[in-house]
Amino acid sequence: MNFSPDEDHLALKQSAAAFLDKEIALDPLLKPGASVAQANYRLHWEKIVAMGWTGIAVPESYGGLGLSCVDVAMVLGEMGRTLAPSPFLGNLIGTWALLKLGTEEQKRRILPAVAAGTARLALAVGDAAGDDHSREVSAEPGTSGFLLKGTRDFAIDADGADWLIVDAHNTETGRRGFFLVDTKSDGLDIDVMDWRDLTRQVCDVRLNGCIGEPMAPFAPADWSWVRDRILFALAAECAAGAQQILSMTADYAKERVAFGKSIGSYQAIKHSLADMLGQAECANVAVLYAAWALSEEASQASLAAAMAKAFAGDAYVDCTHRSIQIFGAIGFTWEMKNHLYLKRAHANAELFGNSRAHRSRVIDLAQQAAA
Amino acid sequence: MDFRLPAENDPRRAAVRNWLSRHPKPSGRQLAEAGYTVPHWPKPWGLAAEPELQFIVDEELCRAGVMPPNLINPVAINNCAQTLLTHGTDAQRERFLMPALACEEIWCMLFSEPAGGSDLAALCTTAKRDGENYVVKGQKIWTSLAHKAQIGVLIARTDTAAPKHAGLSAFLIDMKSPGVTVRPIIDLSGHENEYNEVFLDEVRIPADRLLGKEGEGWRIATSQLQTERVALSKPGAIWGAGPSARDLVNGLAVSGHLSDPVVRDEAAKIFIEGELLRLLAFRALSDRMNAKPSGPEGAIRKMLAAPHGQHIVEMAKKVQGPRGMVAGEQPFPSQVGSGKGSYSDWDYAFWFSPAVTLGVGTQEILKNIVAERMLGLPRENDPTAKLPWIEINRAKSA
Repeated sequence: MNFSPDEDHLALKQSAAAFLDKEIALDPLLKPGASVAQANYRLHWEKIVAMGWTGIAVPESYGGLGLSCVDVAMVLGEMGRTLAPSPFLGNLIGTWALLKLGTEEQKRRILPAVAAGTARLALAVGDAAGDDHSREVSAEPGTSGFLLKGTRDFAIDADGADWLIVDAHNTETGRRGFFLVDTKSDGLDIDVMDWRDLTRQVCDVRLNGCIGEPMAPFAPADWSWVRDRILFALAAECAAGAQQILSMTADYAKERVAFGKSIGSYQAIKHSLADMLGQAECANVAVLYAAWALSEEASQASLAAAMAKAFAGDAYVDCTHRSIQIFGAIGFTWEMKNHLYLKRAHANAELFGNSRAHRSRVIDLAQQAAA
Repeated sequence: MDFRLPAENDPRRAAVRNWLSRHPKPSGRQLAEAGYTVPHWPKPWGLAAEPELQFIVDEELCRAGVMPPNLINPVAINNCAQTLLTHGTDAQRERFLMPALACEEIWCMLFSEPAGGSDLAALCTTAKRDGENYVVKGQKIWTSLAHKAQIGVLIARTDTAAPKHAGLSAFLIDMKSPGVTVRPIIDLSGHENEYNEVFLDEVRIPADRLLGKEGEGWRIATSQLQTERVALSKPGAIWGAGPSARDLVNGLAVSGHLSDPVVRDEAAKIFIEGELLRLLAFRALSDRMNAKPSGPEGAIRKMLAAPHGQHIVEMAKKVQGPRGMVAGEQPFPSQVGSGKGSYSDWDYAFWFSPAVTLGVGTQEILKNIVAERMLGLPRENDPTAKLPWIEINRAKSA
């Protein structure tokens, strides 16, 4: 029993922090009209590849580092704290998906290249809530694999990925299945969406009869395994982001003077900041608990991940909103970083199911756990 | 990092269970003598237990249906008696500790006064040295358990010329002393009184009942408020002694309310809050285990836990509709009588709930503490802090 991160975890977090503080500059995004195209996505990615972080979730048997979700939380948290624009999250999600949903042959073929940073993965599922089949993609058997037809929105980091993992309705079996798509295939269009979160590339994927390799037979538990990790990853970014926006806002409240004293000496401001700290602390412990439960494949992993996503998403939105209120009008301008955090918070809160959807799951999962 | 709690077959559990099988209905004295009342204290009072063992002891006693001594004599066991270990004399420890731990002498805390609650250091009750005694004059208020207590921990002013924090001293007084009058305060719950007014009219205290030295009263008082038992502060109503969010969700499930999407969403929010507060309490426990000193993060937990307790009982009351306005009506009748006395009474927990963001530091004061000590924001300016105490009222009226 030890509910605090170990020395090793903290050391990993510190080295990630040192690297990202040095390498990540958000300045190009602070010019009005900037988009993710100015976010230095590619440059940051090259540096991340050089750090070896592409292999953190790839098991050692496939050439990766095979780190636990607790370790991953340390790196993801720092990525979230600095908003580091890069395809790190999309590739990580794709890695988890291939690891759980791919065939052994596919894993042997692709994961070593992912670990080495020479291949990049992305996931494009039903919708970003993960379970919704309403905008179905169909997969019809063809001469060399399946032909995929349909649209997938909100695919994180799909543009520039080498392989996409897509779920589709297999017309042969009448069931849901996952397919691996080489992005060099004909009949595939990927467009970067005009996404409000400028620090993240979110894409629209149109499959016009492109070829998909079937992955391992679909099992709902396998998808849950992947989805729980996605929820945890988004929550980890949220918790660290909330902590960061709190710290920026507290610093500003100490410096900014009104009526002869710093605004941080007024209780209206103090109390709002205290509320933010309470939320950030809870979000942080929720993420660590989910990270541990996922690492251990514990029975409460799904519950922990759903709680973390629901709580940290809302907490981040609230903290970034309060931050703008405390900064005052200057915090409402494009040239300040506040809006980058606000937009990341809203985007993370909406992706892969909103807080309310996960709270509804929390009730079911808690009832199951109690029974 | 490991979020697992001590296993069911942990040999340390077996030891406690063994003892409980030999003492199926333990008296307060038996628990105290076994070291189970304050396992975290040094021997002979406690077991010098590390936090994990404290957790096990608490959990096993709770499972065996033993009323926790720290709920019977909370002022002594949770707050004040520990300061006797550090500030008391041998004679004081010998006289007071065992009866307190055995719950044979109930304690109360004579701190707050009518003129100032949050600004505790401004208190007006005086204690003047007179030969072998101190003579105490003044009035206290919001004193929990004063009507049941044999012993009071009193903070009084021994030096009126010193600044307000510097002129205070701490005493242990016999609540049966001549000149002590206790008057119950009936709070809005209408329940048997929790709080009292205490009038101190020329009460003579033997000088050997001074705790620590003259002038150390403020340090002792604040250390008592911060002395926090590291073991479970379970999140829930009535500062964790009442129904929890898990109880709420179970109750709503049984009563069929969870099919209402609005209720379901609210209940889930409260449930998640409760689970995260539980994890924060465990983390505080881990921090102690890792020898990280306790700091102001206790204030954060109370800042979050008190409103959380209110959310639990408000939600339960809301689903009752007008039926909930009938005195004594319970939202979840199946849970009544689950062994915690009035603490399993949801109706009482609801009507008591306004108190939890007032007692032991109002919500506003806690937020100040969190913002100032954890985020480094400027301290509130107290223009009276440096003045000799006798000057403060003159300054106010000028």
